[in-house]
Amino acid sequence: MRISTVGFQNDALAQMQALDADIAQTQSELSTGLQLQNAADNPSGMAQVNELNVQLSASQQYVTNGQAATANMTLEEQALTQATTLLQSAQSLAVQANNTSLSSSERQNIAAQLQQQLQQLVGIANSTDSNGNYLFGGYASSAQPFAQSGNSVSYSGADAVDQIQISADQRISGGDTGASVFMNIPAGNGTFTTAAGSSNTGSASIDAGSVTNAAAWVPDTYSITFTSPTQYQVTNSADAVVASGTYSSPGTIAFDGVQVTVSGTPASGDTFSVAPAGTASAFSSLSSLVTTLNSTTLNQGQLTTQINGALEQIGSAITNIDDVQASVGARLDAISSSQSTSQSEQTDLQTSISQLSDVDYAAAVTQLNTEEVSLQAAQESYASLSKLSLFNYLS
Amino acid sequence: MADLLSTSVSGLLAFQEALDTTSQNVANVDTTGYSVETTNLSEAQGQILGNGYVGGGVDVSSITRAYDELLAQQVRSSQASYSSFNTLATQAAQIDNMLSASGTGLTATLQNFVNALQTVANSPSSTAQRQALLSDAQALTQQLQSYDSQISQADAGVESQISTSVTQINTLASNIATLNQQIAANTGSGQSPNQLLDQRDADIDQLSQYVNVNTVADSNGAMDVFIGNGQPLVLGDNAQQLTTTPDPYDASDLNIALVGSGGSTADITSEISGGTLGGLLAAKSQVLDPAQNAVGLISVGIASIVNQQQQSGMDLTGAQGQAMFSVGAVETLPDANNTGSAALTVTRTNLSALTSDDYQLQYTGSAWQLTDATTGQAVAMTGTGTSADPFQAAGLSISVTGTPASGDSYLIRPTAGATAGLAVQLTNPAQIAAASLIQTAAGTDNTGTATVSAAGVTDPGTWVAGNYTISFTSPTAYQVLNSADAVVASGTYASGTPIAFNGAQVTLSGTPAAGDTFTVSPNSQANSGDNSNMFAMIDALSGSALDGGTTSLSSAANNLVSQVGVVTQQAQANASAQQTVNQSAVDARSSVSGVNLDEEAANLLQYQQAYQACAQMIQTSGTVFNSLITAITDGNTA
Repeated sequence: MRISTVGFQNDALAQMQALDADIAQTQSELSTGLQLQNAADNPSGMAQVNELNVQLSASQQYVTNGQAATANMTLEEQALTQATTLLQSAQSLAVQANNTSLSSSERQNIAAQLQQQLQQLVGIANSTDSNGNYLFGGYASSAQPFAQSGNSVSYSGADAVDQIQISADQRISGGDTGASVFMNIPAGNGTFTTAAGSSNTGSASIDAGSVTNAAAWVPDTYSITFTSPTQYQVTNSADAVVASGTYSSPGTIAFDGVQVTVSGTPASGDTFSVAPAGTASAFSSLSSLVTTLNSTTLNQGQLTTQINGALEQIGSAITNIDDVQASVGARLDAISSSQSTSQSEQTDLQTSISQLSDVDYAAAVTQLNTEEVSLQAAQESYASLSKLSLFNYLS
Repeated sequence: MADLLSTSVSGLLAFQEALDTTSQNVANVDTTGYSVETTNLSEAQGQILGNGYVGGGVDVSSITRAYDELLAQQVRSSQASYSSFNTLATQAAQIDNMLSASGTGLTATLQNFVNALQTVANSPSSTAQRQALLSDAQALTQQLQSYDSQISQADAGVESQISTSVTQINTLASNIATLNQQIAANTGSGQSPNQLLDQRDADIDQLSQYVNVNTVADSNGAMDVFIGNGQPLVLGDNAQQLTTTPDPYDASDLNIALVGSGGSTADITSEISGGTLGGLLAAKSQVLDPAQNAVGLISVGIASIVNQQQQSGMDLTGAQGQAMFSVGAVETLPDANNTGSAALTVTRTNLSALTSDDYQLQYTGSAWQLTDATTGQAVAMTGTGTSADPFQAAGLSISVTGTPASGDSYLIRPTAGATAGLAVQLTNPAQIAAASLIQTAAGTDNTGTATVSAAGVTDPGTWVAGNYTISFTSPTAYQVLNSADAVVASGTYASGTPIAFNGAQVTLSGTPAAGDTFTVSPNSQANSGDNSNMFAMIDALSGSALDGGTTSLSSAANNLVSQVGVVTQQAQANASAQQTVNQSAVDARSSVSGVNLDEEAANLLQYQQAYQACAQMIQTSGTVFNSLITAITDGNTA
């Protein structure tokens, strides 16, 4: 084939330019460390890398979320532990007070200590996090949730708490409301409450009672009336007698699936009531105990009954806080397990991203060498061939 | 007279001309478009003498150029393809680079915004986190706007290149017509005007860089030139002029037209293919317009999802949230040739049905017809087009006022102008509506186990603020009462199934008892720690809100990247393939038409020797003549 002189030059030039372009591309891959620089290099690969980067960024955010939640819930856990310790000490004070040999002034001393503890408990319930937000305010976290007025404590926080996202498909409560921790505690034994009649003259007291057959329990207000120190009858709110019997101390009285124990000597006409349980707060349990212990008008039976009731209530408050604490612990566990999942997921994601977008240095360097050799050969052959011309030999 | 002297002189003259041609070839070794020339020699007419014909020496019959029309056409068609793909690849690569910028892509910025929502959710009353969210909203807006403005700039660049190309094509067309005229005038002599032909071929070659070219040779030596899909550009010595005309819908968009007699123009935009011009038009229709529309759809998606959720929430001041983003309206462009007085009002109504296509609405004289301008397919509309009952199609609501004339049409661009109008409207971080617009409470006397698991306003447009009570008449039947005790909704209860009324949704789980109640009331400012609306926003942003509920915003952003990537990759691959084809076509042509210096050196030697031989013959004829004279002189003296 006939080759024109310009054609030869142009072809050689085009080949060298193509090699230059290849070398520039390989060099840029090596210097940036990226083989995937533009979507045009590998459109589906780029889409995949973007998607993986989104997942990575989201995963990092979930770890951050978990850290914020862990900080708050650790503070909550501390507050709950303090509350439990406080209530346990209140419990032992109540046990101390439940001693018939104590004088009323000794009881009032105990009441004064309990009064202190009530204030401390309100303080704990109004704990704040590092940003000054109230731990137990729920949604209403910027206002103090618990207010004390005399011996009564009220809750003005919200009934719902923030959710925190700790993984792509897991949102957990970032705290607990003051209502669920301190306020909505089942009163009495959870099913019913017991009380001694305010005009009782005997020394008999009643315990908190228990449920023996939940199916037979008919929620209603019952009166246990002693017609004589050894005879009792139980009437419901319609004044119908549901049980009656002979009493000797301590005696168990059973009716409608529940039983209560009365101890001591009732006077004829003394009454005890059994009513469906509502809810009580940890604060009201303490404050009613303070009122009981400060009272000078209660007889021994009424005193014992009320202290027994308070003990039961404080026990319920401790159980409730324990439950909350267990749930906080479970949530902290969930956070730490999702964080370790997130971290290993992040490692996997980074590996995948790197496989798709990072340059294989060994391959790229080898390729650069090959391209260099080709370019050198092209340049040398061009330089020597372009010198050849018949005109050189014309003289 | 045939004799030694005149024969030799004819040789001298012929070889001088051959040497001239050789020197012309050597001188033009690097000239673009030059075709190697050959001096064609032929034996001169002989003279009859009694004993036979005596040769009359040599004549130069012609000087011809080495040229193959087929090879030239191959060069031009591959050049037109290469220029077209190369232009498209260059334009597409700009957009590809913009979208691929690593670590700063749209998906990353979008995720940063979602992460900022999460951070606000972690600490809803923190002003610092809210401020950070506004900054991220600003960053998202800026990124989308920078995409939009870069695409617009590229578009303006394309329009100006189209104008430049049209001017170049016109100049070349005039040159070719002039050359045609000169060639026709000079071909009459029977000799080919090689220099004019080379010049015309070079002009046609250059024309093929701008647009696909076809040529037809006339008998008089002129060459007719057709561009695109057969539009005549040069007929003999008459050059047609191309011009750019504003698009009837959008004056900033240029169309290409042929100027006819009397200055009338005929639009040939759709007929143009190949060359820079074809590549520029392809870049507009395959990359720039779709990318701008897709960015616009993402902008609309972000704005409408976030705004809807803002309005479903309560901000830090206790007020209902306000729109966070403003976004550009639907572009409705009337055809400049419309004669009626109709005016359209087009709004976006349904995000999931909205597309990134453009639409054409045309009045047929009796009815309006909607066509997808991108796919060319008819789109069915419901409604009557009045403002009370607007047309509904493709996520748009279209109402018409005034009187249209038959044939009037409008171009509707649902998303093209959206990004340009995208802006963050909130300035105060307190305006971020992190809290739900409503709060719920279980009745204090409830005896069932049902609890509220989720509650929120889902449609702020139909939400009627007020106090509501969800009351269970049995464990499986509920009714919702407003504050006037009127029933606004009722139904059968199933745990986990939302109860919807007046634009709000409340989800209960557990088993309620007959008589249980739940109250729903406007949220109070005290609940500044409520983050439930942030999660609703995160869920809405991550959900598949586009394309009939199949595509999330992040996927849409990613699809844009890979679609532009695919167009760029294909254009680059095609450009590279066509470059190779063009290179080999050029090689093939230059192997016929190019100058080879070795060949010329050999010719030089050959012609030089022949010339020297002829000169020697003249000397010999002198010697012969001298011999005769001497003989005569000697005879006389003898």
